[in-house]
Amino acid sequence: MAGVSMKDIKLRIRSMESTKQITKAMEMVAASKLRRAQDNVTRSRPYFETLYDTVCRVADSSGSFTSPYLEAREVKKTCYVVIAGDRGLAGGYNHNVLKLAEAEMAGKNVTVVPIGKKSVENFRAHGFEILTDAYFEAGDVSVSDCFTLARDLCGRFLRGDFDEVHIVYTGFVSILVQQPSVITALPLHGAGGAEKPGSETIYEPDSETLFAAIVPEYLGGLLYGALCECIASEQGARRTAMDSATKNAEEMIDDLSLKYNRARQGAITQEITEIVAGSNA
Amino acid sequence: MATFRLKIVTPDGPMFDGEARSLTVRTVEGDVCILPRHINFLTALGMGEAKVVPAEGEARRAACIGGMLSVTGDQVMLVPTTFEWADQIDLPRAQHAREAAEEKLSHRDRLSDHELAVAEAKLKRALVRSSVAGRK
Repeated sequence: MAGVSMKDIKLRIRSMESTKQITKAMEMVAASKLRRAQDNVTRSRPYFETLYDTVCRVADSSGSFTSPYLEAREVKKTCYVVIAGDRGLAGGYNHNVLKLAEAEMAGKNVTVVPIGKKSVENFRAHGFEILTDAYFEAGDVSVSDCFTLARDLCGRFLRGDFDEVHIVYTGFVSILVQQPSVITALPLHGAGGAEKPGSETIYEPDSETLFAAIVPEYLGGLLYGALCECIASEQGARRTAMDSATKNAEEMIDDLSLKYNRARQGAITQEITEIVAGSNA
Repeated sequence: MATFRLKIVTPDGPMFDGEARSLTVRTVEGDVCILPRHINFLTALGMGEAKVVPAEGEARRAACIGGMLSVTGDQVMLVPTTFEWADQIDLPRAQHAREAAEEKLSHRDRLSDHELAVAEAKLKRALVRSSVAGRK
C-alpha cells in the first residue's frame, strides 16, 4: 500500500495532532495578550502623538533660540535603539525589524541599545558595539525604565558620545499588519511648517532650561510608546503565525486521515479477496 | 464665563478632554494658573498638585508629576508623566512607598549616586501623592 503502512500513518497523524494542540494553545495565549497590549496602545497613543506634535512644533518655531538638542551636528556616531521580541515563533516579526535595523546601520559608525532578547542576541552575535544590554526582556521594561534610559541617552547625546538617536520599532497598524519603522528621536527636527507670524510663545523658565527638562521626558515617552506598539505587534504577529500553523496542521491531518482510510479499505478488500479466493479453491 | 479647551493625556490614557475655566499646575518654577485667552505658553512641569475647574461641575484636584504644559491659541495641552485624580490615588500604597523610600534613604551612605537619586525621586512622588490624596 504505497510504501507507507497504516501504523506509520497513524503515528504521523498523532504527532501532527499534538503539534496542532501546541500551536492552538499558543495562538490563544497570544490572542489574550494581544487584547491587553492593544488596549495599552490605544491608551498611550494620544500621549505619544501629543508629545511628538508639541515638540515638533516647538522645534519648528525655534528660530529665536538655540539648544544643543536642536543642532544637527556632523554625524560621527549614531545610536540605534532597536526593539524586538523576547521569543521566536512570531512569523517574520523579529526578522523584519532586525533586517530593517541592519539596513539602516549599514556603513555607519553605530552603537546599539537592543531591547528584547532576540535583539540583544542578534547584535551580540554580529559583534556590534552595545551601549547597554540591561533591557533583556522587552516584556519587563516598565515606564520608569524608559525614562531612565531616556535620561541616560540624553546625557550621552549632550556629551557628544553620539550625534543622532534613532528608534527602530514595529508599528502596530492592525492585528494583521505590523510595520517595522525608524524614527529619528534626536536631534529634534520640526515637521517643516513654519510658525505663523504674530503667534508669540512664552517659554518658561527660558528655552534652554525648558528643553533640558522636556527633552528627556519626550524621549522617554517616545520610547514607551514605541515599546507598547512593539509588544502589541509581537503578539499580533504570533497570533497570525500560530493561526496559520494550526490551519496547516489541520490540512495535513485531513490529508493523512484520507490516506489512512484508503490504506485501511485497501487492506480489507485484499483480505476479502483472499478469503473468497481461498473458499473458491 | 469664558472657557478654554483642555486636554490631559498621560501614558495611561486620556484623563480629561473638554472645556475648562481654569487650570492650576505646579511647574518647575512654581504654581501657574491658566485662564482662558492665555498667551501661547510652554513650560515643564514639576511635582505637585494640579487643579482643574471644568466648565460645569466641581473643581477637581490631582497629583501631577513631570511632563509639560503647552498653550496654543485656546487649546491647552497638559502632558504629564503621572497624573492621578485625588479620588483615585491609592493612599495606603503611596504611604507604603513613602515608608519604603524613607527606609532606603536612612542608610544613604551605602547607596550609589544612582540609587540615591531613584530613592529620592520615589520619596518625592510618594509625598506628592499622599499629600494630594490626604487633603480631601
